[in-house]
Amino acid sequence: MTLLERDPQAPTAWRGNLPVTSRYTYGLAGEKFFRTLKDEGKIMGTVCNNCGRTYVPATAFCERCLSELTEWVDVGLVGELHTFTRLFVDYDGNPLDEPELVGFIGFGDGGLIHKLEADPDTLEIGKKMEAVLKPKSKRTGSILDIEHFKPAK
Amino acid sequence: MSERVAIVGIGWSGFRPGTPDVSYKEMIYEAAVRAYNDAGVDPRKDVQSFVTVAEDFHEGTSIFDEYTPDQLGAAMKSMHTITGDGLHGLATAVMLIRTGRFDVVAVEGHSKASNILTPDAITAYAQDPVLNRPLRLNTHFVAGMEMNRYLYESGADADACAGVVSKNRRNALKNPLASFAADFSPDEVLGGPSLAWPLGMHETAKSADGAVVMVLASEKTSASLTDNPIWIAGIGWCNDSPSLESRAWAKLPYIEKSARMAFQQAGIKNPFGEIDFAEIDDTYAYKELQSLEALGVCGFGQAGALLKDGVLDPAGEFPVNVSGGSLGVGHLLDATGLHRALEAALQLRGEAGAHQLKDVHVGLVQSWRGVPTTSGAVAVLTN
Repeated sequence: MTLLERDPQAPTAWRGNLPVTSRYTYGLAGEKFFRTLKDEGKIMGTVCNNCGRTYVPATAFCERCLSELTEWVDVGLVGELHTFTRLFVDYDGNPLDEPELVGFIGFGDGGLIHKLEADPDTLEIGKKMEAVLKPKSKRTGSILDIEHFKPAK
Repeated sequence: MSERVAIVGIGWSGFRPGTPDVSYKEMIYEAAVRAYNDAGVDPRKDVQSFVTVAEDFHEGTSIFDEYTPDQLGAAMKSMHTITGDGLHGLATAVMLIRTGRFDVVAVEGHSKASNILTPDAITAYAQDPVLNRPLRLNTHFVAGMEMNRYLYESGADADACAGVVSKNRRNALKNPLASFAADFSPDEVLGGPSLAWPLGMHETAKSADGAVVMVLASEKTSASLTDNPIWIAGIGWCNDSPSLESRAWAKLPYIEKSARMAFQQAGIKNPFGEIDFAEIDDTYAYKELQSLEALGVCGFGQAGALLKDGVLDPAGEFPVNVSGGSLGVGHLLDATGLHRALEAALQLRGEAGAHQLKDVHVGLVQSWRGVPTTSGAVAVLTN
């Protein structure tokens, strides 16, 4: 209950909401990236030879020089933890019972944002982290085909 | 056109954590009337064009730009709304004047944050819908991860970030426009709850409601309107790639570039030596330190030491966020950059009241559009 509702003298307020539903397509490179993740269990990047950069996730063009990117590379499942956080609130801002670990795991010159399964006290920037994939039969071609990242052995 | 552009009128409404008594239109109206009165202009006759900044999801109204003319006196006039920070609006107004087509232009930004019942859902909906949003993470995670990498690379520590909160909220005690003034020690900040470790709840600005309107004029016209023009000596803006996967995490290259653009116009070569004070981003406490370094006020990793040595205090050599900043005043959503420009203009006019600095001539203003964006702007104001 808000203050507004408790005070009988408070000015009236009206409520509204917008049930927005959208469809997102991820393009030629995105399609291939997620298809390869689903079918082959691989994380793929594309290489810009002009800038000497490897984009992960793969993109169709270099955002720096705008070259079209056609050279694909498998960057493996182990990347380096570039940064991470322990999140104490959920998607809507409510406190979480159990804080979640989230990190940016570097691959090539890019990387992936994902949840981490690890002891927070042993986690540090620079640590090698490995993608834990869902079993092939459960993969749908989504970022959630990766369950989480865990410290690599 | 090389004519200079001046701020000749300023007005505001608020700022308060909640404004159930007034509509956003009434807040804007109040700010506009003050600004027009301050400039001595009739909006229906003298103001030739209007720029407003607003975001549909913040307003809860689609195609919100349709709702912006009437309360400003801008109906049946040249006007448009842009989705950006208030400083982007200010930059647009400067450009309009420098086309030579307009002599007097008004800029408006506002926040009715208290009407947004699901603010976290709005920032979450700004995440990449395919790569990031499926993880269902509160968007503060972006700030937590940026802060962690910033501390790692810069060597700044949690004490320095807590010191920013303590300084700004104490500064706000002298600012009647501030909603979150407090005598708050760094230990109290660090003892508070976590939001996105290493980021604490107390290191995150709370939102406030309010409106800011400014009247800008060409140099020639400003002479007939005011004896106390505040010059927009330089203004720059820049966006990095928005992708979380390819952005820089420790530094703010888009603020560096915005600053270079503004400083080049203003002829500033040594920001620390030539600028008297700054009103800059402190949406999250670490941003003040990170932004100071990106602005070239000091080298990378040196802002924490400046804070601890008192250099950024009101009595220090380079006062930062004397107004209280967003941590002390409250974050005004899209109007945030205009609020900082307002505070800088009040200082340069000598009208800042209890938090007035002595003998100031050059003020630095910087703004960021918040998580998950990489959108920033910088302005240099002089008297």
